[in-house]
Amino acid sequence: MDFAEFKRDVWGREVLLGVSWDLLWVILVAAFLFIAIHTVYKAAARKGPRPSRDGERVRRHDGVDRAYHWLMAISIFALIITGVLPVFGIEFAWLTIHWIAGLVLTAVVLFHIVRSLFWQDLKSMWISAKDLREPFDAAHKPGKYSLAQKGMHAGVTVLTLLVIGSGLTMFAMIDTPWWERSNALSEATLGWVFFIHGLSTLLLIGMICLHVYFGLRPEKLFYLRSMWKGWISRDELSANHDPERWKPRAPPT
Amino acid sequence: MASFDVMPDTQLYQPVELADALELAARLGENGWLLGGGQDTYGWIKDRAKNPAAMIDLNGIEALHGIRETADGIEIGAATTLRDVIRNPLISEHYRLLHDAASRVASPQIRNVGTIGGNLNQDTRCWYYRRGLSCYRAGGNLCYADSPQGMNREHCLFDASRCVAVSPSDTATAMVALEASMVAESLDGQRVIPAEKFFVGPRTHITRMTSLEPGEILTSVRIPAKWAGKRFYFEKVSDRNVWDFALVSIAVAMNVENGTIAESRFVCGGVAAVPHRLRQVEAAARGRTLSDEAGEELAPLATRGAKPLNYNHFKLPLMENLVRRAMRS
Repeated sequence: MDFAEFKRDVWGREVLLGVSWDLLWVILVAAFLFIAIHTVYKAAARKGPRPSRDGERVRRHDGVDRAYHWLMAISIFALIITGVLPVFGIEFAWLTIHWIAGLVLTAVVLFHIVRSLFWQDLKSMWISAKDLREPFDAAHKPGKYSLAQKGMHAGVTVLTLLVIGSGLTMFAMIDTPWWERSNALSEATLGWVFFIHGLSTLLLIGMICLHVYFGLRPEKLFYLRSMWKGWISRDELSANHDPERWKPRAPPT
Repeated sequence: MASFDVMPDTQLYQPVELADALELAARLGENGWLLGGGQDTYGWIKDRAKNPAAMIDLNGIEALHGIRETADGIEIGAATTLRDVIRNPLISEHYRLLHDAASRVASPQIRNVGTIGGNLNQDTRCWYYRRGLSCYRAGGNLCYADSPQGMNREHCLFDASRCVAVSPSDTATAMVALEASMVAESLDGQRVIPAEKFFVGPRTHITRMTSLEPGEILTSVRIPAKWAGKRFYFEKVSDRNVWDFALVSIAVAMNVENGTIAESRFVCGGVAAVPHRLRQVEAAARGRTLSDEAGEELAPLATRGAKPLNYNHFKLPLMENLVRRAMRS
């Protein structure tokens, strides 16, 4: 199995075309194995009482952030479907849908960056030394986000920025309603751009598999609910978070 | 680029039964090259721009030859030579459009061996692609023709999507105008594909010109009787009168009733990666009589939505003039 795809041109030179899509199967198998092992491990582990969803509610996500999350999810799924299916033989007129979804993703990510810099508690998502105790000390509870959530966010951030950066570069290479395409980049540079775009896409697919899995785990379902409805219960807060490290605001009305 | 005087070593299969050819096509997949008259094939392979492991010569399969009258029109075997198409009285009498289009393919020598299936399936003539560069159509990441330095005089006006190559087939335009269907067979069975869907553009299949899948063989072309004996017009403009591809061509089928056009199909070649229907012209032609005045009114509609490249603006007046000429009484 190759890591990258090359083509030998008519002069016998090897030209980098992009990532090898065989890697998708490696990533899917790895994600599936992780999920299977984790599922077995969690099933075997002793389960404590599940916190109640009833009682006082506290706000976890504002409406605007929830809208951002789901818009980002829709655009990423649209990008993956339109980008990956044609590679595997399900061909349709994908390019226009792909770049429109890419622009939506770029816009919502820019919005998120600005909002997180000026209107949100940026530090709540930073990984600090304290967080590293979490996996080894059950009594050590996180603030608003757990180490796993912060790690997932950091990974998705890096990969999304890579996929957007390389995607915008490729976007300049096609005709759009605003400009005619430029062939300014050399074949070799373009090969690297396609490679970065493809590799970050494949890694994002792996991250998304894990994200969806953890979002649907029974003991984590309240996070999914909070991303849909905005709130968690006081009991869920106490059981999973350190109220000293995260002081939520009033619940949504 | 290196040049070669001889063909590379390639396996050659010469089945005489369609079933054997289908089995070979399924087994070899993209490594098997379907061979008709070879007029598009041999250049590719001699230049090493395509390197199939094996060729499947379809010419020995009797079932792929001949022109048959059917209950609803005619059926032409895919391995029927263009010469036989041209000389067939059924075609020259009832489907003159196909006769005229086939008569303009390349040269008499090429028409003697070139097949209708090969002509319909031939690859584009973009020279960057045919020289073996790793362009979009060859699976690469860029288009050499659509660049500030790119020589794109022969390239497309419509429906470019990264690749700007055009369909070079003269008979393809006639097939679309005549509402033909392509019969494709594989081990999985038979597909009958309308000509308009048989030819595909770069938006969906950037590395292919047709919707034939690996393992499928075009076995015949069916032309319905709907357009038999109607009024036809075919004209091809090229740099040379023989042995050349269309800069722009037009194939028109019209049902003229009591002097007015009841229905028509205008199809241009050389302007898109597929035979390009002039739907606005067709709509505007309905109810009109054939005349210079009508031609003047319809001509500008032909080029609506065209996006010429650096060197092919000349195709716009060519297209419009071909519509004018098709509308002459």
